[in-house]
Order: sequence, then C-alpha cells, then structure tokens
Amino acid sequence: MSETKSQSGPAGNGNSNPAVSRRSFLRSSALALSGIAAVAAALEPLRDITDPATLKKFFQKHYKEMTPADMEQVLARISEEVEKQYKIRPHIKDYKPMDGVEFVYCLNLTRCIGCRKCVHACVAENNLSRNPEIQYIRVLKMPHGSLNPEEGEHNYNSAMVPEKGFFYMPVACQQCRNSACSKVCPVKATWQEPDGITVIDYDWCIGCRYCEAACPYFARRFNWKKPQVPRERLNPEMSYLGNRPRMQGVMEKCHWCVQRTRAGKFPACHDVCPAGARKFGNILDPNSEVSVILKTKKVFIQLKEETGNNPRFYYYFDV
Amino acid sequence: MKQDGKTRFFTIAFTAVLLGLAAAFHFNLWGRQAPVSPIPLIDTNFLSLATARVSAAELFATPGADTSDFDCYVCHEKNKPPVIRYDTNSNIIVPTEHKDIVMGHGSHGRNNNCFNCHNETRLDTLQTRDGRELKITDSPSLCGSCHGPTFRDWEAGVHGRTGGYWNANLGPITFKPCTACHDPHHPKFPGRKPAPAPNPLHPEKFAKKEKES
Repeated sequence: MSETKSQSGPAGNGNSNPAVSRRSFLRSSALALSGIAAVAAALEPLRDITDPATLKKFFQKHYKEMTPADMEQVLARISEEVEKQYKIRPHIKDYKPMDGVEFVYCLNLTRCIGCRKCVHACVAENNLSRNPEIQYIRVLKMPHGSLNPEEGEHNYNSAMVPEKGFFYMPVACQQCRNSACSKVCPVKATWQEPDGITVIDYDWCIGCRYCEAACPYFARRFNWKKPQVPRERLNPEMSYLGNRPRMQGVMEKCHWCVQRTRAGKFPACHDVCPAGARKFGNILDPNSEVSVILKTKKVFIQLKEETGNNPRFYYYFDV
Repeated sequence: MKQDGKTRFFTIAFTAVLLGLAAAFHFNLWGRQAPVSPIPLIDTNFLSLATARVSAAELFATPGADTSDFDCYVCHEKNKPPVIRYDTNSNIIVPTEHKDIVMGHGSHGRNNNCFNCHNETRLDTLQTRDGRELKITDSPSLCGSCHGPTFRDWEAGVHGRTGGYWNANLGPITFKPCTACHDPHHPKFPGRKPAPAPNPLHPEKFAKKEKES
C-alpha cells in the first residue's frame, strides 16, 4: 500500500504530493479495516477458549503424566460437560489394568449366526454416534470355503440368518500385540495397556487418522461430525479411556469395554451373543475359557496374520 | 494517473473480497454441516440378553410361572408306560396332545424314541441310557450323557452362553442350561431375523453403486 501512495518515487522529492492524501488515506484504511474484520471473523471460534472447561482441557497433561489428583480434576470436568450436554450425571472413572491379566478374545465361527446383536449391544454400551452411524463391529457374510474378508458382504439383509452356504465373521479391533496403529501415532494418543487393550486418549488425539490408515482390519473410526447420542440411550457408566462421549475430529475404536472388563465383567458383545460364539477372558489364568479354548481346540485364525500384527483375537472352528 | 486508477480498482476489489470473507467467516458458511438423513433407533429387542428359549430349570425357578406342562399325571396314568406308535417309515406318530413337539433330534431322525430321555415309569423325570434317573430340570447331565465333548466344553464355559464376571474374585460367572438355547426335541439352534444392516453415510450414492454392481 505504501508504495502506491507515493508513486512519484523516492527520486522526485521536490514536487511530490503530500505523503498521504485524504483519498488514499480513506482507501487504505477501508482496506485495512476489512482485512482486520476478516481476520477477526476467522478467529471467532477462539472465543470458546474463554470457557474455563476448554482452557482446562487445553492445559491437560498426557494421560501417562497425570497424577491421580490431575485425573480427578479431569474426570470432574468431563462429568460437568456430560451433565451440561445430556442433563445426566455420569459415573465416570479411570479404570486401571489389573496385575497378572492379559485379555484374549476367541470367536467360534461355527456358532456365529450373523444376527448383528453384538454390533448394537456395542453401540448401546459404548455411546457410539447414532447419526452419523459409527459401529465398531462389522459382521461379514462369507461364502463357505473362503477366509478372504474381501469376499465378505456387510450389507446383507436376509429375512433369516444363518443362510445356507455362508458363515458369518464379526470383525472389530483385534487388540494386536504388535499393533501398527499405536506405532504410527505422532502424538502418542493411542497405546497398548499392560492388559493388552489398545486405548485412545480422546483429549490427546489430533485427528490425523494415521492410525486408521495403518490398521489392516479397518477397526478405527473417525468422528467426521459431532457424534449424536440420544439422551434416553446414553450409558452413564463411563470410563476415561472407554465410552465417554467423544468429540468431533477424534479417532475411536473398540476397547473391549474397559469400563466393564476392568471391573471384572465381560464385554457387552459377549453377553448379548445368543449363540454363545464369543468367549473372553484372561489368558494368564490357565482355567479361563480362552485358555481352555486355545489348549483344546484345533484350528485358529488370526485374521490377516501375514501383516504381522499378531492379534489377541482368535477365530476358531469346532465340531 | 493511469497507475492511480488501477490502484483504486484493486483496492476496492480487495476490500470487497475481504469483507466477503469476513461475512463468510462470521456466518460460518463453510463450517456448516451438511444435513444428514435420519436413522431410526434400533429396536431394543435386539439388545435383549434373553436366551433363545426358557429352560425347564429356569421356568421352575420363576415364581408364579405356569408349569402345568410338566404335570404329566394330570393326563397319564401312573405305573402305566404310554405306548409309542410309529408309521410305516418308522417315524414316530406324535399324539395330538403333544402336537407342539417337533421330533428332530439327530440328523436322520434316529433318536426318535421318547424313552431314550424320558423315564417311562416316572414321566416327570428323565433317564440316561445307563439307567440314571434325573430331575426334569437337570438337562446338562442328561445331554452330557451322550454329548461328552460338548458337556466338557460347557463345564469349562467354552460351549454355550456365559455371563456375569470373568474374574471370580469380583463376582460369579453365570451359565445357562442346555435347554435355554436348544429345544431338546429338535436341538438345532434356531435361526432368526438379523438386526438392521449398517446405514450408509450417503444413501443415494450407495443405492447407485449397488445398482451398478
């Protein structure tokens, strides 16, 4: 702007116009003001930061660096946010892994009938967004004689399951021992816990979706929009690393219901399965169901074994 | 002068663009979310933890439940074993009083003798092939007398539905008896209607793609 004002140039000092004419002053100030207005409007979302809860979240530490007192404050903040949004006071806790426990999941493909009850029990338990729809479990209808997930169909809508000539394979997070997703996270917002569950700190996630790209099982979901959970379907039993409400722009995935399993219960998908195809337990306990299965059954499948992720989720057949 | 006119033009144009941007940011023209098509909430029946059927054990444990079906001697005479009739293909003829029973135990109708499992001398009890008399509610012992490996799995919690707690220190694990899922007369696990398929994010695009493929 300043160049245009004195177009006669630095050489012609003597006969130049006054440094700023009224017209050029008005012109440039209009330009400057509109520029400022545009920047101010663009920065408008920053007004939210004056909200104390947002500020607190901004200065929150990484999950592993938080002291129990810090965590208490964080849980109080989340609890307040949930109450503000849903008018329901949640019971939110930070469940810690137990000593001497490593979880393993076994799924009997001979028994699964493909009724998709696990999908919806999971949605209800974990406060998943109903619209847009986010589901952790995908049930694949597979032709007999194949274990190639690409031949599976997600959208089957049969009047009656199981159908002849097909078997059904539910796929969710495999809680891998050598998990690609947690390795690619640039901010360490997702990691493997000592009990084998790979968790996400939703407050730390920056939404870069590297983990989604790294996962060979398509187990991770991104919140493209603000998740919608109807108030009457909200599960108030929440955990920090588990089913507390997520925000727009963060990743989420199956966490084997940490709020249930770390309290000694089974995951929601396990309890609802009408065929008893799902088995969950502590592999370090030699008498647990999963230990007995891995000892006595004969054929196991770790899905996409060749990717080297070494899942803690085993598919098997019997009889 | 020519230079000045150009400057004016650019200044005005630039001001207009910036004001336009300011308005766009203020009214959040880009940040607005596209409308989504409504998705109906799932029928809560699909969330039910109920088993496929109600076993005799559970029925007798429920206060006020109707157990008249197990009151054999309202119709039958004591100490007089009922006679079983077969048709020419040696399929059993189910009497009309028991017409709700579908005979289908075993893939070729081989297990078609009522008294393989029911006790002909005491109809309200069960019997194993090696002569043990069992209560009508004790289905696992009866079924396990033939289905050994399955019984072994069931005892370990591997076959069938479990619930409650995986960690015995925190709470008990619950088991379901055989007949909570299998009808003893035709034990194949029944099929059912599946819960709705996932809803596509863009239904129109999805329908078009389906049509093409």
